[in-house]
Amino acid sequence: MKSVVTTVITTADAAGRFPSSSDLESVQGSIQRSAARLEAAEKLAGNIDKVAKEAYDACISKYSYMNNAGEANSTDTFKAKCLRDVAHYLRLVQYCLVVGGTGPLDEWGIAGQREVYRALGLPTAPYVEALSFARNRGCAPRDMSAQALTEYNALLDYAINSLS
Amino acid sequence: MLDAFSRSVVTADASTSPVSDIASLKAFVASGNRRLDAVNAIASNASCMVSDAVAGMICENQGLIQAGGNCYPNRRMAACLRDAEIVLRYVTYALLAGDASVLDDRCLNGLKETYAALGVPATSTVRAVQIMKAQAAAHIKDQPSEALAGSKLRIMGSPVVDDRCASIVAEASSYFDRVISALS
Repeated sequence: MKSVVTTVITTADAAGRFPSSSDLESVQGSIQRSAARLEAAEKLAGNIDKVAKEAYDACISKYSYMNNAGEANSTDTFKAKCLRDVAHYLRLVQYCLVVGGTGPLDEWGIAGQREVYRALGLPTAPYVEALSFARNRGCAPRDMSAQALTEYNALLDYAINSLS
Repeated sequence: MLDAFSRSVVTADASTSPVSDIASLKAFVASGNRRLDAVNAIASNASCMVSDAVAGMICENQGLIQAGGNCYPNRRMAACLRDAEIVLRYVTYALLAGDASVLDDRCLNGLKETYAALGVPATSTVRAVQIMKAQAAAHIKDQPSEALAGSKLRIMGSPVVDDRCASIVAEASSYFDRVISALS
């Protein structure tokens, strides 16, 4: 999984050398910046089900046609799956906060996303709406510190961009 | 390849739950400078450590440099020094990442079989790795004593932390142990 540390090691290994002092500097930079994203990851982990439920409710109230028979949110099974998908994106966002890069979203969320939604006939606009709601719902310092919120919002923006 | 952070993500993903053990990652971050100093201590002394380990291995088993020994002639001795440096390098990578996956995937996978096919004696290899393990611990601890160094004792600087980075020493030793168990 791509992160600052693994990139540094891959480069050093390709050259067959020990980690140089500039390698260690870049790892230290990443470690110094990690406090905010770990805070965001911790807060999100503690409340991820509620955040997902709110985001899901917001997108269903905007696209209420999805409750109609035959639509993506019509049955209880479909409703559970929709909620699960939103929670899934938030979980990947949390992973990205932990790793300090977009690796988890790229590898487990975005790769193949377009093809899957096309094959299942799912609209992406409600996902965008759900994630946008979560993007605008966070508030500093009520939910987390300002810097942590910036990291969190940046990853939600990344996920939204991948869907639009 | 994984590091301490992506390891926790992969573990959490297996149960489709968010990463909950943030505290251990915060501890990793808090000890970050110790880790970097430890990596620097090994990387800065690498060639000395490698040649000492191989020389120590040969001192204990002179047959290695007799005709027919595995470090004879120079060509094979050079290969031995190179391999010791490679092992030490991957241990250093693992210590930097805080996870053994890079060591396992890129160094130890198939190493035992390769050495068996080439006729490299496992006991000698293990001995060299054991010496490097002791050296790495000594360099990270940086606590020379009269008993260990004798007349060459030279104290440089004052201790930065009182516990002498005991947790990092233990972690580095565990990676060397991993090499040893993979070879034997």
